[in-house]
Amino acid sequence: MSTVDHLNDERAPEGPAENRRVPRAGHFLYLVPGFLLYAAFCLWPIAQTAYFSFFRWDGITDMRWIGLRNYLELFTDPLTLTIFGHGLVMIVFYAILPVLIGLLIVAIMTRVRIRLLAIFRTVLFLPQILATVVVAVAWRWIYAYDGPINAVLELLGMGFLTRAWLGDFDTALASVGLIGTWINFGLCMVLFIGGAQKIDTQLYEAARLDGAGPVQEFLAVTLPGLRGEISIALILTVTNALRNFDIVWNTTAGGPGTETLVPSYLIYEGAFITRNVGFAAAASVVLTALILVLTASITIGLRRRY
Amino acid sequence: MASVDIRNVRKSFGKTDVLKGISIDVDDGQFVVLVGPSGCGKSTLLRMIAGLETISGGDIKVGDDLMNAVPPKERDIAMVFQNYALYPHMTVAQNMGFSLKLKKIPKAEIRKKVEQAAEILGLTPLLERRPAQLSGGQRQRVAMGRAIVRDPKVFLFDEPLSNLDAKLRVQMRTEIKSLHQRLRTTMLYVTHDQIEALTMADVIVLMNEGRIEQAGPPLELYDLPANMFVAGFIGSPAMNFVHGRIENGAFVSTKGVTLPLGVAPEGLEGKDVVYGVRPEHLHVVTEPGVGAEAEVQIIEPAGSETQVHLTLGGDEIVGVFRERLDLAPGSTVRLTTDSAAVHLFDPESGRRHIL
Repeated sequence: MSTVDHLNDERAPEGPAENRRVPRAGHFLYLVPGFLLYAAFCLWPIAQTAYFSFFRWDGITDMRWIGLRNYLELFTDPLTLTIFGHGLVMIVFYAILPVLIGLLIVAIMTRVRIRLLAIFRTVLFLPQILATVVVAVAWRWIYAYDGPINAVLELLGMGFLTRAWLGDFDTALASVGLIGTWINFGLCMVLFIGGAQKIDTQLYEAARLDGAGPVQEFLAVTLPGLRGEISIALILTVTNALRNFDIVWNTTAGGPGTETLVPSYLIYEGAFITRNVGFAAAASVVLTALILVLTASITIGLRRRY
Repeated sequence: MASVDIRNVRKSFGKTDVLKGISIDVDDGQFVVLVGPSGCGKSTLLRMIAGLETISGGDIKVGDDLMNAVPPKERDIAMVFQNYALYPHMTVAQNMGFSLKLKKIPKAEIRKKVEQAAEILGLTPLLERRPAQLSGGQRQRVAMGRAIVRDPKVFLFDEPLSNLDAKLRVQMRTEIKSLHQRLRTTMLYVTHDQIEALTMADVIVLMNEGRIEQAGPPLELYDLPANMFVAGFIGSPAMNFVHGRIENGAFVSTKGVTLPLGVAPEGLEGKDVVYGVRPEHLHVVTEPGVGAEAEVQIIEPAGSETQVHLTLGGDEIVGVFRERLDLAPGSTVRLTTDSAAVHLFDPESGRRHIL
C-alpha cells in the first residue's frame, strides 16, 4: 500500500493558531482596576504578613526586628513540627482518601449502570454545602461517648471498642480527619462523575474488545481520562486539608492535649490568644509556601503530556 | 479467519424492535458491507457480532462457535470505530500493542508485530507520536493497525470513514480494500454511504427498518434491485421512478407520456406499475418523432458527465449524459431509454416485476 507518500499531504494538527496579536501598552490599562483590587486585598496582605514574620510584635506595641528567629523557632520547636505533621496527616484524610473513594465509585459506575444516580450524587455532595459548624456539631454528637457509633458497637457485641472518639489520644486525629473525608469525597465524586461522562464510550468498548478486564479498563481509559479532574480535586482538597481550622476548632479545639492541633490553629493562637503576631505570620508564610509547593507539584505531576 | 453465520437475529430495546430477524452468511475471507439509512439497525447488528450488545433472539456463530453468550474479549474479533477510539495517553505503538500486552505476549514479539502492521499502513515514522499529534486519516490508520496487530478472526468496521473529508475518504476506501486483498480476513463493514458499499464489498447487505431488503454482489443490487427501496438507495443520482400503467404493451405515465419497454410485459396489461430507469440509461435523441418530450430544468456539468434535471410530463427525472450536449434551461429535448435496462415495479409492494 502506498500510504507513506500520503503522510505528508495531511496536515497534522498544530499548536494554537498564530492569530494572537502582541498586546500594546495601552491594552494593559484595562487590567489596572482589577489589578488594584487584587493588589489591595490579596498581594498587600501577603506582603505584610511576610514582613511581620521578621518581627516580634504583640499587635499593639512597637515591633522589634528579630530577623529569622520566628522561623528558627518554628523549625526547631518539636510541638510546631508535630502540628505541621498533623497537617500532613490531614492530607491523607482530606485529600487522598476522598480521591480514592471517588475513583472507586466512578470505576463501579463505568461498569454498572447506577440507578437514581442524580439522587446519590446530591446526597453524597450534601456535606460540601453544609456549614462546617453544623457538620462539626453533628459529628461531635456522632462521636460522643453516648453517641450512635458506640451504640452500634455495643449492639454488635464489640463494646470493648467503645470510647469517646474525639477525646481519646489514639483516635482523636483520625476521627477529626474522617470528618474531612466525609465532607470532601462528595466533591471528588461529583468532579470525577462529570469527567467520566466526557470520556468517549467507544474507548471503553475498544478496551473491552482489546481484552481488558475491569481493572485494566480503569487503568487504560478511566484514570487517564480523569487526569485533569484528579488534579483539580487534589488541589482543592489538599489546600482544604492544610487550611483546615473550623472543623478542628468546633470538634476538639485541638485536644486532647495537642493531639489535633493543626497549622491554622497555631496561626490563630499566635495572632489572637498568645499575641505573638510575628510567629503567627511566620507560620502563615510557611503554611502558604507548603500549599504552593504541594499544589504546584500536583499540577506538574498530573499535567497532560499529550 | 472464520466465517460468520448470522441466523434469524433479533434485537429489541424495550418495546422497539430494532432488528426483526436478520440472517446473513458471511464466507471466510469475504468483505461484506452492511449498508442502509440511519436507524436501519446495521450498527446494532455489528455491535452484536462484537459482543457489545446482547442478542434478543437468534444465533451468531463465528466459525463453528456460537457467540451469543461469549464476552467480547473472548470472541477474537477486532473493531474499528467511527471516531477511532484511540487511547489518548498512549503512543501509536502502545495503542497498537495494547491488546497484545493484555494477552501477556513478550515485548519483543509485540514490537515485531506492531512494526509489521505499521509497515503495511505506512505508520512507521509515527510510532512514537500520540493520537493528538495525528491527522484524522492517520488516526484511522492507527485504529486499523490496532486491529491488524491482533490478527483476529473477523474485522468489524463501524462507519470508519465518516469523520474524514471527501478526498481522504476516497483514499482510505482504496486502502481498506487493498488491506482486505492482502490480509484476506473476513471483514464486516457498516456504512450509510452506498458508494462505499458498491466500491468495497464482495457482498452488500442492504438493510432498512431492521430487515434485509436485498443481499448480493454490488452489481447485482445495482442491475437487478429486488424492490423500489433497493433501486432508489443504490446508485447516485438515484433511479428515476415514473408512475403509470401498461397499455397495449407499452408504458403510459399518469401524465400521459409513453415510454419504451424492451419486452412486452406478460400479465401486466392494464395494471398500474412504476417505471424505473437509471439516469445514465436516458438518452437524448434528435430524430423527429422518436422519444418523449421533456423540459430541461437544471444543468449540472461535472466534466466527465453532465447531470440534467428534467420534467417529463409532470414527473421530475434526472439524466446523466456522457456526451457534450448543447442544452439550455427551459429548452425541450426528446428522450429515449435503454429499454433493456428498464425495470417495472409493483406500486403497492414495491417489488420488481420479472420481465
